[in-house]
Amino acid sequence: MEDLILRNRYTLLVVTLIVYMGVLVAEGMITGREARVIEFENFYFELDDFNSIDFEGFRETRTVNENTRVDFDDTDDV
Amino acid sequence: MSKFAVLQFYALLKREVLEHRNIFIGAPAVLALLLLVATAWVATQIDQIQLAEGLRFVSVLFDGFSPLDMAPFVMLLAIPFCLTLCVCSVIYLINTLYQDRKEMSVLFWQSMPVSNLQTVLSKIVAIVLVAPIFYVLIIFAMYLIAIAWLTILGIISDMDLVGIGYLFLAAIASVVLIYISAVVTGLWLLPFVGWLLLFSAFAKKTPLLWAGGVFILVGFLEDFIFGTQFLADQGKLRTLDPRQYLIFDFQNVIEKVFNYDTLFGIVVGSILIAGAVFMRRFTD
Repeated sequence: MEDLILRNRYTLLVVTLIVYMGVLVAEGMITGREARVIEFENFYFELDDFNSIDFEGFRETRTVNENTRVDFDDTDDV
Repeated sequence: MSKFAVLQFYALLKREVLEHRNIFIGAPAVLALLLLVATAWVATQIDQIQLAEGLRFVSVLFDGFSPLDMAPFVMLLAIPFCLTLCVCSVIYLINTLYQDRKEMSVLFWQSMPVSNLQTVLSKIVAIVLVAPIFYVLIIFAMYLIAIAWLTILGIISDMDLVGIGYLFLAAIASVVLIYISAVVTGLWLLPFVGWLLLFSAFAKKTPLLWAGGVFILVGFLEDFIFGTQFLADQGKLRTLDPRQYLIFDFQNVIEKVFNYDTLFGIVVGSILIAGAVFMRRFTD
């Protein structure tokens, strides 16, 4: 075990960090520390308020645009 | 502990001070000089009568008050020194073990009758206990010069100097509080100290980038594996609120040192310091 941990600097670093994080997480869970510090949320974009009708409209508009393009291609104008 | 071990440790501390004179003595001395020059320049810009009025106000403000109660106000003058000590400590801790390997002086020190544990401990004691002594002495010298100047100004202006005497006593109390605050801060931030020392002993190049990069990576992995952010919580807890480690009253010393968070910080900091001690065997 000792040979494995002290094989090279990388194994030693990983083992040290694992022990450190293990103690930190165990203590945090036992004492009930605040587990979430940073919330990765974008306050300007909320999924609940997402308007699916607009999205449908976007799809319809896109379909219309594509049809128009097909019509335009069919005219064979140069 | 034998007398030889004490002498060994004293020699190691002396070596740290001699090798890092710029950080321990140079930086605060230059800062004190700059502050004195700036104060003298401001004083020359103010009218002599207004200056005497200001001095009278200071004298009345401190007259009769307990120096221990007024010490926190005098401590405010030491804020630039505290910030300088923080920056210098980070530079010292991240470079000290790395520099030993880079210069290959680590081979010399390992050939001496000094263990890796003693070497790493001497570096921690140097930055936590010894460096603040130099900073505090320089702050006190600056206070002495300022008070001597105020006294001369008071004598010239024919003023009552009792308040200046109280100011001097408050300055002495503040210097002691600054030293205790610096030591308690060192203990409070021991996980941070251990982290920097670990990467100073580990990195072959750019130890500061390694320390910062791995902190972010480990924080991300913790969130990914456990769904928690205790590492970020520790970082926030130990850095963002200075009231946790700054001491403005002598009655708070025991409470600040022997509280759960400080002792837990010492325990987890010791894990990282142990890692740094073992890491020092890799000298390539």
